[in-house]
Amino acid sequence: MSANGRRDELTSLERVGLALQYKKPDRVPAAPLVCGASCRVLGISYDRWSQDPKAATASLLAAQSLIGFDGFLTLVDLSVEAEDFGQEVIFPEWSTAYPNFDNPCIATAEDYGKVARIDPRKTRRSSAVIEIVRGLAEARGKDVAVMGFVYGPLGVLSQIRGHAELFKDLIRHPDRVLEAVDTITGSLVEYAIAQVEAGAHAIVLDPLYSSSTILRKQTWERFEGVFMRPIADAVRAAGVPVVVHNCGNGVYFDAVIEHIKPIAISHAYPAHGSPDLKHHAEAWGKKVVTIGVIDPAKAGHEWSQDELLEECRQQIETFRIADGGFILSSGCEFPPNGNLQSAATMVKAAQLHGWY
Amino acid sequence: MPETPEDLHEALATAVLELDEVLTADLCNKAVALGYDAWTTIEQGLIAGMNRAGKLFDEEEYFVPELLIASDAMYAGLGILRPHISQANTIHGRRVVIGVVQGDTHDIGKNLVRIMLEVAGFEVFDLGRDVPAQAFVDRAVEVNADVIALSTLMTTTMTQMSKVVSILEEGNIRHRFKVIVGGAPLSQQFSDRIGADGYAPKAAQAVQLAKQLTGLVNAAA
Repeated sequence: MSANGRRDELTSLERVGLALQYKKPDRVPAAPLVCGASCRVLGISYDRWSQDPKAATASLLAAQSLIGFDGFLTLVDLSVEAEDFGQEVIFPEWSTAYPNFDNPCIATAEDYGKVARIDPRKTRRSSAVIEIVRGLAEARGKDVAVMGFVYGPLGVLSQIRGHAELFKDLIRHPDRVLEAVDTITGSLVEYAIAQVEAGAHAIVLDPLYSSSTILRKQTWERFEGVFMRPIADAVRAAGVPVVVHNCGNGVYFDAVIEHIKPIAISHAYPAHGSPDLKHHAEAWGKKVVTIGVIDPAKAGHEWSQDELLEECRQQIETFRIADGGFILSSGCEFPPNGNLQSAATMVKAAQLHGWY
Repeated sequence: MPETPEDLHEALATAVLELDEVLTADLCNKAVALGYDAWTTIEQGLIAGMNRAGKLFDEEEYFVPELLIASDAMYAGLGILRPHISQANTIHGRRVVIGVVQGDTHDIGKNLVRIMLEVAGFEVFDLGRDVPAQAFVDRAVEVNADVIALSTLMTTTMTQMSKVVSILEEGNIRHRFKVIVGGAPLSQQFSDRIGADGYAPKAAQAVQLAKQLTGLVNAAA
């Protein structure tokens, strides 16, 4: 039963599936990107959640049961692929894993040649994510959308080299960077396909640096956009749609759509060139399905439940213009240490205000 | 090679703007060899060049890679000129301890703030990334800092900022330091809640905030 007494008429999977096709479901789907936060539902430490696929799967299932969100996202952290390429990663007990940049795998520009193809079905962390996808799909895949996750090749490389050093290398050593990105891309194609084979209904690709606060559009296109294309094509050839996630500010929607051709974009800020969300909705709402755009930090840490409910209502109204192509979500992963009640409130908002 | 100090300053600013670290170092060495005033050379050469790069960044002509390389050039020049700054030309003397909080390694934003603080004359003690809360406090006490500047890009590590404030309060030294916070997931609301003295959404605003909090400009300016 929904918050306002109306009963959901569709399963979560049906609801998300229709929204992704610009077909109005019973109501706006709600997918607040509860990933790492799920570890607290079963009282599992974050480091265990990050490395034990059975524990992560159980946590995500318990979180979905508790909160009622319409889609799983298998984003564990942005260091999954990096570790498999050889980067040392630190696993805090109660926070997100991150690379140890005091010991970068690529310490100098000469080290780019060390990047070698991996088999994500066998490497420690990627294979764990594949198992999470499989576990979720087997347990709830008939009813709830399961979205796999692949960090873009330039993003992966930044987790191996260090962000600042990589950005400087784009100018100083472009050919070495391109060679490494190409190598990583081949492995990411396999990683994406493996998640599809494990049961993912869609694959979310994250081209984080396709953002005007970081790179020039042409720079992103040269160093990642063209490499994203074969990954996206492989996902589609494997039979599932491609979704993009980018929580950066000023995302180049035009370039992302040109190179990746996603059916939906999950984002946190208006697209590059849009001054506000209303303008964004008018410019892009009918061109690509919107997943977002609730501020995750405010949702998880700042707003009262009433404030969050009102913010969700306003966004649902703003994106009515999309004719069904809208999924209410946080603009980035729901804060792993945020108030889980807020994730439930986002679902409640869709049930209260999101009926078509 | 430039003939006058003014020519050299202009060439230096252009070298920084054009991301030429080698030429920047060469020109700084020449300034030292010719006995040009080091502080003036920093101000009218290196800092002017960095300011021009920052303006292009604001105008989306430059992006993060260009800004990072321009700052490398500036620091190459600073390393040469710093030992030659006369005591009479010392800056206003305000000190900032800055770093990315524990659990986070995203330091580009912090580095941009550090550069802009240095350009604005602050003496900056950069603790780097993944810095434990206690280390901020220890270093601030050690160098008698005016400001502790905390950065994070991740929601999971925001709580580390409140830990810094708590340690200061527990040590009864909260009043000695202004604490400012910045990073994509933060807000003024968050800053208020943890008891920080200020929040800056952008690097330039962090500098303005530090100036206000240390009495270099008044808040209404």
